[in-house]
Amino acid sequence: MPTTLDTSILGAPVEVGAISKELKKLWDSTGASKSRASLINFAVYSADASGMAGLTQSINEFTRNHACRALLILAQPEATESRVSAWVNAHCHLGRAGAKQVCCEQISFLLEGKACQFIPSIVFANLDSDLPLHFWWQGEFHDPIDEQLWAWVDRLIFDSQSWRDPRRQFALLQASIAAAQSRLTLCDLNWARSLRLRQALAQMFDHPDNAPILEQLEHVEIAHAPGFRSTALLLVGWFAAQLRLTPQSRDGALLFTTGDGREVRFDLVEAAGRSIGRCHLRAGAAGVKVERDAEGDFFHVEVRLADGRLYRHVLPAGSNHTISLLTDEIGHGSRHRVYLKALAATRALF
Amino acid sequence: MNPHAPTAANPLREGLSNRQMPQPCSVVIFGASGDLTFRKLIPALYNLAADADLPAATNIIGFARREKTDESWRAELKETTAKSSRSGLNEQIWQTFGSRVYYHPSEFGQAAGYQSLAQRLDTLDTQSATFGNRLFYLSVSPTDYEGILTQLAAAGLNRPRDGAWTRVIVEKPFGTDLASAYALNEAVGRVFREKDTYRIDHYLGKETAQNIMVLRFANSIFEPLWNHRYIDHVQITAAEPLGVEQRGPYYEKSGALRDMVQNHLLQLLCLTAMEPPTDLGADSIRDEKVKVIRSLRPMTPADVARNVVRGQYAAGAIAGKEVPDYRAEDRVSPQSMTETYAALKVSVDNWRWAGVPFYIRVGKRLAKSGTEIAVQFKNAPSVLFNLPDEPLGPNVLVIRIQPDEGISLRIQCKMPGNAIHIEPVKMDFHYGTSFGKASPEAYERLLLDAMSGDATLFARRDEVEGAWRFIDAIEDAWHQTPNPPPLCTYPSGSWGPKEADDLLELEGRAWRRM
Repeated sequence: MPTTLDTSILGAPVEVGAISKELKKLWDSTGASKSRASLINFAVYSADASGMAGLTQSINEFTRNHACRALLILAQPEATESRVSAWVNAHCHLGRAGAKQVCCEQISFLLEGKACQFIPSIVFANLDSDLPLHFWWQGEFHDPIDEQLWAWVDRLIFDSQSWRDPRRQFALLQASIAAAQSRLTLCDLNWARSLRLRQALAQMFDHPDNAPILEQLEHVEIAHAPGFRSTALLLVGWFAAQLRLTPQSRDGALLFTTGDGREVRFDLVEAAGRSIGRCHLRAGAAGVKVERDAEGDFFHVEVRLADGRLYRHVLPAGSNHTISLLTDEIGHGSRHRVYLKALAATRALF
Repeated sequence: MNPHAPTAANPLREGLSNRQMPQPCSVVIFGASGDLTFRKLIPALYNLAADADLPAATNIIGFARREKTDESWRAELKETTAKSSRSGLNEQIWQTFGSRVYYHPSEFGQAAGYQSLAQRLDTLDTQSATFGNRLFYLSVSPTDYEGILTQLAAAGLNRPRDGAWTRVIVEKPFGTDLASAYALNEAVGRVFREKDTYRIDHYLGKETAQNIMVLRFANSIFEPLWNHRYIDHVQITAAEPLGVEQRGPYYEKSGALRDMVQNHLLQLLCLTAMEPPTDLGADSIRDEKVKVIRSLRPMTPADVARNVVRGQYAAGAIAGKEVPDYRAEDRVSPQSMTETYAALKVSVDNWRWAGVPFYIRVGKRLAKSGTEIAVQFKNAPSVLFNLPDEPLGPNVLVIRIQPDEGISLRIQCKMPGNAIHIEPVKMDFHYGTSFGKASPEAYERLLLDAMSGDATLFARRDEVEGAWRFIDAIEDAWHQTPNPPPLCTYPSGSWGPKEADDLLELEGRAWRRM
């Protein structure tokens, strides 16, 4: 058992070979007022074992909305001794249906030293059968990624915002998925982060009067918080892919051309605030400006038409907390084809 | 094609929504002072706005007799929405939403009120760029429908402008019998085209009602068994412990059969019994439902005496509290012959359902609240495990519509031990347990669909009239024949009259324990 980490938050320590038995005991000991529920296997991997408390808290929050079996896998590859330790616990919440508590189980593993290679077997041995596997990978991917594991994953969740070298990471990810012939869905929380903004923008262009702004788009300014340039770049990729813009390389500027040869310029501006603070589309005197308010809860949208008409709207901006992003992401269940197009349009810019 | 529709040409929409987008419009609610407006309609529209599902350019205009201003109505709505909205009330969202809410006082029969409404809508169209798209919601007594519709037509409000649309949502009841439903439909049809008429039945907006088709047609294990070869019978139940409360005068005229069976329960029956539609288009689905309605075996008075039980609640106890009998309720006749309970054996005369009875029961002041569809399969052959005098129980698939929405399947299982001892066990799926997120209210979905021009979850004229044709035969047998079947009584807090149990027992069946 590791001595340097406080593992009390992970629940009862168990023998790795006796997890099923311990889980049975756990559920046998709960009364009739509790009900176990599971719709997905939710594996969480982190190479930072010191973050176990935060991750357990995140899993606890996640289970409020998504009944699952959670597998928390913490790795300490630098440890000298090779060892696998395991714990089980349960997260219970009062369900919507009534007085009964809905409980989800969490099985936690600490892999030390060479045992860090055992991730696939740990996952395979502890899945709730017949349920999809959603894998939340914290941090960077390392070469090589296990092909068999990838082939079993239905949704791979990651956050490209935290990557030091996104271009290399995306390339590694793509190569691994191709090698595993996996049909998994890539769920980039960095993409999910701009979902509400994209929805707000799309809603504005549902209105036919506003369509000319897109058709005659000249300039897009995106203000992003420090560290969120990659979020803004994905947004640029979204515009480029959806509007069929072709990138032009010129002095590092974000320049694109439309099908009829017009130039569209994107400027990324760093500004304090939350991820994307503002997105301003201009077409001559007309434009759509979406600005997140200071508290971050709402977008204030201003639509200015060429004939001088001005409309203002307030739309929900959602939360940028990781668990909210994750919860929404799993709830939507999208295949993210648009993400792949956006990524393809801007991968070279990262 | 409507040039003002949110178009597939919006390139930013891809991947963000898999439903048809609602269109900018003005929603005019007739009956703006009514309970439904305050408790359901405005909270539903507000929640759509809070979820960013409502087009930003949407105006809401309340039309009612009482004198109010825009500001006073907004203030009332804000207070009640804060109480009734599933997401509470956010000040910022309300400010934007509320600024597009207006009140238009007028008598329903006053032509000037509609002319000024037309002018007001034109102004709002210009201000908000709603293009003349209009959705009229008749949240009023059916007796007011014709007057309102006539005035709408006189003011030209039923005629869409070029490229725009006008639609009308009609609340139930759609008539009180076939003749009145026909007259109502004719009145609506003189003013609005059928394709622009949306008859709302909020049961169809419920998540579990929508899930019936998914369960049947997206799972390969059920459909092969979904017929007379494997299904013994189907039970559809809508039970509630509540009495008539403040609805005595309405209920006296309506009764359980008209209030619940003609609309909600026959809709559930249709979804259970229909053939797979060719696609998910509104008319493809509704065509299949109409075929079921047409297959319902009409009842003669003798059939009604044999296959239908009507009951009225007597005094009893609900949740440990004494409650009075129906005839002692507020504004109910002491000699009332209105049924508060009905149980029917219905036959669907088509290939799939030949010989499979559908038992429907509905009642007030019953022991427990619950609406469900229970599909009971035929027993396994009496060999191997069955002793002749101890037959195994049947498999039962239960679709719970409310409360505690979900699906359960009862199967037979060997009890642990050295001998073969078989007991039923239940596999149970609860929406509330498995999905933390609450479903939108039925009215949210239905309003959004009406704005999007999707009539799938609304009743079509032929459905409504077909259902009334079936119900009228029963009502006539009860009220127009010299020797009507008796009105049974049942104690409040029970599961209905004994005669309803006999209805199934005669055929070796029993109502499901809920």
